[in-house]
Amino acid sequence: MKRRSTFALLGGAAATALMGTGCGGGTASGSVLTVGMPNGPLTENNNPFSPTSASNSLGYRWVLYEPLAQVNLLEPTNEPLPWLAEKWEWSKDFQSVKLTIRDGVKWSDGKDLTADDVAFTYNLVKDTEALNLDAIPYKKATATGRIVELTFKSPQYVNQTRIIGFTPIVPEHVWSKVKDPTKDTVKKPVGSGPFTLSSWTSQAVTLKVRDDYWGDKPKVKEMRYVSYNDNSAQTTALGNGECQWSYVFMPDYKKVFIKKDPENHRLWFPSGLGIHVLFINNARKPFDDPELRKAMNLVVDREAVHKQGESGLYPLVESPTGIPSPVGDDYIADKYKNVKHKVDVKKAKKILEDAGYTLKGGKLETPDGKAVTMKLIDPTGWSDYLASLQIIADNLSTIGIKAEVDSVTVDDWNEKLFTGDFDASLHWTNTGSTPWDLFSNIMDGAHYKEIGEKASWNFGRFKSDEATEALSTYADTDDEDTRKKALETLQDIMVEEVPVIPLVAGPIGAVFSTKHWVGWPDDDNPYSMSQPTQPSSSLILTRLKPA
Amino acid sequence: MRFLLRRAGFYLLTAWAAITLNFFIPRMLPGDPVQSLLNRYQGQLTSEATRSLYVLFGLDEQTSLWQQYLEYWGNIFTGDFGLSFTFFPTPVSEIVAQSLPWTLGLVGVSTVISFALGTLAGVIAGWRRGSWADTLLPVTNFFSAIPYFWIGLIAIAVFAEAWQLFPASGGWDTALVPSFSGEFIGSLITHSVLPGLTIVISSVAGWILSMRNMMVTVSSEDFVTVAHAKGLKERTVMFGYAARNAVLPNVSGFALSLGFIVSGTLLTEMVFSYPGIGYILFKAVDAKDYPLMQGVFLIITMSVLVANMLADLIYAFLDPRTRREG
Repeated sequence: MKRRSTFALLGGAAATALMGTGCGGGTASGSVLTVGMPNGPLTENNNPFSPTSASNSLGYRWVLYEPLAQVNLLEPTNEPLPWLAEKWEWSKDFQSVKLTIRDGVKWSDGKDLTADDVAFTYNLVKDTEALNLDAIPYKKATATGRIVELTFKSPQYVNQTRIIGFTPIVPEHVWSKVKDPTKDTVKKPVGSGPFTLSSWTSQAVTLKVRDDYWGDKPKVKEMRYVSYNDNSAQTTALGNGECQWSYVFMPDYKKVFIKKDPENHRLWFPSGLGIHVLFINNARKPFDDPELRKAMNLVVDREAVHKQGESGLYPLVESPTGIPSPVGDDYIADKYKNVKHKVDVKKAKKILEDAGYTLKGGKLETPDGKAVTMKLIDPTGWSDYLASLQIIADNLSTIGIKAEVDSVTVDDWNEKLFTGDFDASLHWTNTGSTPWDLFSNIMDGAHYKEIGEKASWNFGRFKSDEATEALSTYADTDDEDTRKKALETLQDIMVEEVPVIPLVAGPIGAVFSTKHWVGWPDDDNPYSMSQPTQPSSSLILTRLKPA
Repeated sequence: MRFLLRRAGFYLLTAWAAITLNFFIPRMLPGDPVQSLLNRYQGQLTSEATRSLYVLFGLDEQTSLWQQYLEYWGNIFTGDFGLSFTFFPTPVSEIVAQSLPWTLGLVGVSTVISFALGTLAGVIAGWRRGSWADTLLPVTNFFSAIPYFWIGLIAIAVFAEAWQLFPASGGWDTALVPSFSGEFIGSLITHSVLPGLTIVISSVAGWILSMRNMMVTVSSEDFVTVAHAKGLKERTVMFGYAARNAVLPNVSGFALSLGFIVSGTLLTEMVFSYPGIGYILFKAVDAKDYPLMQGVFLIITMSVLVANMLADLIYAFLDPRTRREG
């Protein structure tokens, strides 16, 4: 019995393996570009909407399918670059948008891309809750001629780039026949992107360039996407040139990557608008005291967290508002422009003294005579976070706070963080196209939960009606000045009440090699996000040139 | 006959217990598949995704544990293990079919090689006590005492990075599509040399040891002395008389080790990024992927059970004493 089942399985594997059309070819040939991600084993799933598909995990969905516009989260205040849509116009209240769809775009099966396809895609996302990952409150999408009108149940100012920049457009003539769009693995994807799927194996996905692509035809003729089991296997592959484009965390990247080929090996990790913060449990005594939090914030050495904790890979957040530079410069309120966080133990001690705290034998005591101690927690194995916590613990000891770093299992950590059973923990915020997302994640009353109840954000249980109101005003208003004021209020709260301690920014970066291909976005020419899993892949590919 | 029936009953009971445990254990693990997924994407999936992911995985519907248990049994008989969460919506059976052959191929072949080499070396070492062959044991024991991942990493450092004789990771050249072409098979073999070699090196000592000890016992038995006295060739006595009788425990040991092929490969697959089932299981546990965990566990328990049963039968066939009814 065992033998038969083995044979059946072998047969199955051979059959799937033979389905590909076979692509011979040398590994190091200049016309192939190999993208790698450290994501472990994958299965043949090319569903562009599914967060668990191989095409999403490796990022190749964005060279098969395209968004309406190319959004650059590194320059969020700039207008997105027209892509499948030639132009768009938001209504003043941001409850609807009129899009003009580009003419002359063909699907990879030869049929024309029309406004109906676009309307169909948005209606599909609207009607299928499981596909609407950003929970955008769509009302409806209608096509007339080359115009598509999208309407929403509430103002979408803060989601506008998500809507037009992160939705893969799919053909109606294919997807209207799909029985269950959440469960289809789309073995033969038809898209408008510059590449088509040529073969799929559990080790590598090969794509070939299209002859009838509407835009600038990429010089790269063949793309290969490879999934490595872990960061170290991915790093080895990058180091020896086997793979030329990736996004992976590499401690000591200078030694393990750059040094292997200093002329061509590049790493570019600019910040997006998401940050990593130390969530402090505001619902626990004595951390409910803003004076104490302010003092803690003053002694944390972000430079050390950035350099030693995060190996220099996560950009520093210097503004006391928590908004990373240069990406968020335009959002920083005038009074905080050019204000930079500085470690100041003296000032911290003064604040504590004024608030009635005492330092006894090097130990900090609250006004009612209790020693201030805390546990900093994060999951075992998240070595960069744990190293950063160690630095913070050392920093806190300079004002007499006895902080201990505790590593727990991921599940335990989730449970503790969500139910408020912790003193402080390092966690990320989402990356939005405005600072709204990061502030909402940190202090939105809409996410506020009592201790013991599960919170999905605002883990620090920060309670401020002022913050909640400013957040909803920012999202709903149609007046530019009101929006600016709301953002200023949020920054004031960050500085004066320190709901969390902002540390470093979340990068939207890439590791790449200029050996065979040049024209990558970098500091000199930051035209696009460079992560291979972002929608900008097709934009980058149309700009790459042989070295 | 009664012996066989008794054994069959025993195996049925064990299978039921294993399959039932296989249902309950993943459900008793702490954690939540949706939360694991959100952690994996660190800020790239918005938290608004939580709701849609529960809907996507079908976790929003409440069904009683008993009802799930019944469905689970139904699924086992139809071979349908549901859809994996980690690789949603790929069916578990497809994932197993994609990764199991690589594991069976690599570890199966290495286990056979290790068994054959070890048993042969054990025969010689046991027969020629006091000769050079005695040095085999301490040397191979030394290697089996080194943690496996260490041997693997050294093999990569020496043969893949310093000398670049063999590839460091993967099951085949990523430029190739699996097929029965010479190029692909060649690539398959070069990619399996290092992982295969390290498995053999770290497991061969056990076979040598048990075979040698049995040889030592057997070679002082009367029938061996008689064979010598008959004037038979040394080689005939060694293989035809002594080794043939001494090999029994090794054969049943081999049958058991076949059962562990599926489960014992995690380290190899981690070190060499080999596309097998061990790493899939690791991922599934990490992601709280109940359907996938269940599918893989089931394959493992079943193969261990079947191997046990085979070992039982072979032993009963080879050695009549074990079938004697009490």
